[in-house]
Amino acid sequence: MPSNNLQLSDIQSMLQQQGYITDKSVAMSVFLSLQLNKPLLIEGPAGVGKTEIAKVMANALQTDLIRLQCYEGLDATHALYEWNYQRQLLHLKMTEHDTHTIDEKERTIFSEPFLMKRPLLQAISQPKKPVLLIDEVDRSDEEFESFLLEVLSDWQITIPEIGTIKATHIPQVILTGNRTRELSEALRRRCLYLYIDYPDFEKEWLIVKNKVPGIDAILSEQITRFMQELRKMKLEKTPGLAETLDWAMALSALHIEHLDKTIIEQTLGVVLKEWQDTRQVQVSLGELLEKTGIIAKIET
Amino acid sequence: MSTRLTALSQNIVQFARFLRLQGFTVGIEEETMILQSLQHFDYTSHESFFLLLKMIICRSKSNLNDFDELFRQYWKQLDKLLDAKRKEGTKKKKPPTPKAQFAALNAWLKGRPNKETEETASYSVKESLSQKDFSAVPDNEVAELMKCIRSLSRRLAAKANRRYELSNKTDLPDLRQTLRKNLRRGGELIDIMHRRPKRNRVKLLMLCDVSKSMELYSSFLLQFMYAFQQVYQRMETFIFSTSLQRITPMLKQKHFGEALELLSTANEGWNSGTRIGESLNTFVNEYSHKLIDSKTIVIILSDGWDTGNIELLKQSMHHIHYRSKKVIWLNPLAGYTAYRPEVAGMKAAMPFIDVFAGVYNIESLRRLSKWI
Repeated sequence: MPSNNLQLSDIQSMLQQQGYITDKSVAMSVFLSLQLNKPLLIEGPAGVGKTEIAKVMANALQTDLIRLQCYEGLDATHALYEWNYQRQLLHLKMTEHDTHTIDEKERTIFSEPFLMKRPLLQAISQPKKPVLLIDEVDRSDEEFESFLLEVLSDWQITIPEIGTIKATHIPQVILTGNRTRELSEALRRRCLYLYIDYPDFEKEWLIVKNKVPGIDAILSEQITRFMQELRKMKLEKTPGLAETLDWAMALSALHIEHLDKTIIEQTLGVVLKEWQDTRQVQVSLGELLEKTGIIAKIET
Repeated sequence: MSTRLTALSQNIVQFARFLRLQGFTVGIEEETMILQSLQHFDYTSHESFFLLLKMIICRSKSNLNDFDELFRQYWKQLDKLLDAKRKEGTKKKKPPTPKAQFAALNAWLKGRPNKETEETASYSVKESLSQKDFSAVPDNEVAELMKCIRSLSRRLAAKANRRYELSNKTDLPDLRQTLRKNLRRGGELIDIMHRRPKRNRVKLLMLCDVSKSMELYSSFLLQFMYAFQQVYQRMETFIFSTSLQRITPMLKQKHFGEALELLSTANEGWNSGTRIGESLNTFVNEYSHKLIDSKTIVIILSDGWDTGNIELLKQSMHHIHYRSKKVIWLNPLAGYTAYRPEVAGMKAAMPFIDVFAGVYNIESLRRLSKWI
């Protein structure tokens, strides 16, 4: 059991090594989730690196990442297993003239090769403890949520034709949500809870410098300041960290050394994805630039 | 006596009980988890100890927000108590406590739980309601409203369609589609298609006036909007006074208190003047193409007192009426028998309204059901 002698500082350096800049509360949550073998529920606005945590963890633990993307209408068959109906049918067709009894045939077509494993079943039948990412769990229906509860507590899945499959290893579970819907109290109680908010200036700047290696120092600072100001505006879709990084990468690829009004106007589409927002920012661009100190710098 | 209080495990349990008084759902499970993880943990650092407790105990964002303060309060008070014990021995004198919270805390530490306020596994909205603007808004009628709206929305959904549509759920097999799909495979039924009854989805759109003149009904309006959004899924809610704002996501909170908290921080236009025309025009330009179609019922809640552009109001109403299934204007004043829609704004909007009714309490809402 590697998790028993883990230390908090190990986790922090482990995340750092993977290029994930973080604070103490994130490190503590990951630490506890590994230590207690509990699912970790991460909530926060879009684009702050919730999904990234799972990827980083899988990388650091050198194990597989199995991802279950939730959506409205997701049901148990899509999450657990399905019988490969076509294959069963073709198999029967091909062995039509064999002398096997019906019983034998039935046993063949309801066996492992005809079973299509979906993420949850995959996750519990791995040879090595995987990281299971259940992404955007708040988008699924409430029925699915309660079904998930059952799996998360028992770690076994019953297939009527085969029997009960018990988990070889209990996976490390990460659930993420955007707070589009309140999750049930029962699900919350099964998990550790972590809320990740937009990063502050220092943290965001560090992340930009880390993730976009060749970036100009002045440019990265200006971008970060601009984004911090942008988030204070009342926008339809507040841009997250992912947008900052996209923008930084785009500008860096264009070999731009500092921001100015025309460049911002031309590349605003990288950051804002709603036309109302774009218009609103264009209107108040002068004010924004003043606040971030970009105009003053150019003039001097 | 002091050994009992200084033992770490005892303190954790006490702290958990204290938090339970404050509306947290901390059970035995959490207490066990804390003690378990402390075994492999260097808890001499104050900060890590604090973080560890926080991460295990908090289950939602509001929990996270409250935790820091409660943690500080508890351990500070505990230190004080220990000091007092050392100095004064067995003398049982309450240290002066200015706040009510401290009184509760004290009752705790001395082992006299206040039974009336104790809750084990439920959430209390009392704290979050103490936000500045809406502190007086009760949620007394929400349950009743929701019941009423539920029956309303059932009527909306009940108009079943006789047609079927393809479905991904393995429910009803669709024979015709299955045969057609598999013809090219020589009629061997390889893929099975499914279908489900098509549903008539009536969409709702609510535009609510929150200006000064509507202030009298604000508490009812808030509850009404909240209850409606809770019950009815395919619905969008906007508020307007001098400008327009979409509040659908804020109303989708599970607790009325949280919704209020979000609302009070989100809009500064409460209780200001009214510019219905401009607001509706903004709506028409920015949202109507996405949100209104021939299956949408538009509900407008306003008294029609308008200080803005009447011509613009007319145009916008015309547009909304033209594109939607039905326009219902709910005017709180229309309840009075002597009421005539004489206000300029109301007069201008009148030709584009299908149903004009007064809604100001639950009783009037019941009457509304026959119109929808």
